[in-house]
Amino acid sequence: MPRTRGTFLLQLAVKNLTRYKRRTAITATAIGFGVAIFVAMASMLDGFEAESNRNLARYELGSAAVAHPEYWDDREQYPLDLVVENAEAVLEAFDRASIAAAPRVAFQGELVVHYDPFPEDGSLHLAFYGIDPVRDVTVFDLADGIVEGEFLGENEYGLLIGRWLADRLGAEIGFPVTVLARTRDGFHQIIDLEIAGIFETPNPVVDRGAVFLPISTAELYLEMRGAVTSLHLALGESVPGTADLEPARQALSQALPQAGGAEEESQARGEEEQPPVVLSFADMTRELAEAMEVEKASNNVVLFLLAVIAVVGISNTMLMSVLEREREVGMMRAVGVRNAEIRKVFMFEAAGIGLIGSLIGITFSIGLVAFMVHVGIDYGAMIEDIDMGYRTGTVLYGVWNPATMVAATAFAVVVAGVTSFLPTSRILRRPVSESLRRS
Amino acid sequence: MISAQVVHKTYIDGETQVHALRGIDLNIGEAEFLAIAGPSGSGKSTLLNIIGCIDTPDSGEVQIDGELVTGRKTRDLVEIRRAKIGFVFQNFNLIPVLTAYENVAMSLALLGLREAEIRERSMTMLAEVGLQGMEDRRPSRLSGGQQQRVAVARALVKEPLIVLADEPTANLDSETGEDVLKLMLELNSRLGTTFVFSTHDQMVMEYARRLCLLHDGLIVSDEHRSA
Repeated sequence: MPRTRGTFLLQLAVKNLTRYKRRTAITATAIGFGVAIFVAMASMLDGFEAESNRNLARYELGSAAVAHPEYWDDREQYPLDLVVENAEAVLEAFDRASIAAAPRVAFQGELVVHYDPFPEDGSLHLAFYGIDPVRDVTVFDLADGIVEGEFLGENEYGLLIGRWLADRLGAEIGFPVTVLARTRDGFHQIIDLEIAGIFETPNPVVDRGAVFLPISTAELYLEMRGAVTSLHLALGESVPGTADLEPARQALSQALPQAGGAEEESQARGEEEQPPVVLSFADMTRELAEAMEVEKASNNVVLFLLAVIAVVGISNTMLMSVLEREREVGMMRAVGVRNAEIRKVFMFEAAGIGLIGSLIGITFSIGLVAFMVHVGIDYGAMIEDIDMGYRTGTVLYGVWNPATMVAATAFAVVVAGVTSFLPTSRILRRPVSESLRRS
Repeated sequence: MISAQVVHKTYIDGETQVHALRGIDLNIGEAEFLAIAGPSGSGKSTLLNIIGCIDTPDSGEVQIDGELVTGRKTRDLVEIRRAKIGFVFQNFNLIPVLTAYENVAMSLALLGLREAEIRERSMTMLAEVGLQGMEDRRPSRLSGGQQQRVAVARALVKEPLIVLADEPTANLDSETGEDVLKLMLELNSRLGTTFVFSTHDQMVMEYARRLCLLHDGLIVSDEHRSA
């Protein structure tokens, strides 16, 4: 198409946008509303995911972990037979490679409390983590979350519990507790400890269901024989899951011959020795990521509703526009404008409405997203005692996501443009002479 | 230049089949100023539409500039209309969101001419029809007569073989209608463009240099007049 012809048709489409200002404004506003809701929801979900990942990395996983290859799939059973043997050798290898690493012994147990000093007798099934107070702070932020008492240090029999749990137990610093657990070999064990610190983190799973004690105590009472359930690494990354794991893999491979010292011992117990592996953040969060994908799919419902709004609104607007201008269309066809060119005019016009709507929506959504980024939405009252499994605090923060804004705009523009096709085709099927006779 | 031979056209109006043209023979030469007149339903608009390639006959042949147009593809007919035929309508049919200049320039933009040429020819043509200084006005700010002048300029600016005008004075008062007719007659004389009108306006018939009377789809009289 010659440039002047294309330019003319485009100019005509743009000028047509001013023809029915009120109708254009109403349709564009409806589209804008849909775009704004979509962008705001996407921002909220992205923020939710980002915070969840951040809290996972800061309190539970680090950048990556070293564990028995079968441990992660069975981790919810807290197995003490799928372990990293000779953890000290592995830690030394990471130290040589200047990679911060923190060992943990995760086990299941029962926290028993007794009347006086506690308000009442009771016990709770919880996850316990033996941590190295010195190394843990190099990977995790748990120590920063201490709000009462102190982080594990000198006290070998100290215990850290979350604020949420402490409030419900009526626990205070110095209160004695008993932990019932099983050793690595499956024997019952009783550990008497006292509450040394109460922490409060933005990770509700840790706050509500995790209890921390010194790894030396766990090692002693659970008879770990130098093994740990996992070692967590800090690899220097701005976003969890983006770190290069190669240095960690190399360090581990150098450590394996030394770590393999326990092989004979394992074989003697009839356990099949498998060397530990480096688990990426993605490996460890696959199930949560899948759940998040389901959540995000719900945003696609909004996208679908946005499409419906765009299709219905634009279709209606364009149908009215096209029918009202049928004689004009007849004139254009008579003077030699091709049907395809007329379709383009209406398509550009509809796409223009979509673009105006998107710009309204983006402008509005910038306000919404800014609010969510800086203030957030406090939904704590709604889910106070509900554990959804996500690692987010009670205030949901959004994130800026220009790509979503661009995608929503492009989607609205394209859908709007395509939607004009049907009403336009409807009058282009009529003979020119008939269109010219329309009043 | 334009030749219609034994043209028949039937169409359905509601539940009635209307035989609008019953074997029309018509030859139109260069620089003619021809009025096709007749009562409502006589077939004059249908004949104009067929000559203008916006409708096709059921049978018969139509040639424009020696080229057979009957049986041609729709796409070809669009090209013929674009390049060779100008239209003036009863309701002016200007595009309301475009200025007078843009309405005229449209005809040339469709031909893909360069911007400078479009501008020069459109401005000249607007001056020719007496609308100098009103180029930037939209149709809503022009009188009926001025709007029809813009429509005449739009039809003529591409220098077509023929301008087909369907009841061009029907929506104008008699004085304005006569002004527009005089303008078209003058342009016909000066530019040598053929004008064909469909009309039942007595004044148009008086100005016409040739008058064909249609009745029930047949030409019942074909009168050539001297200038």
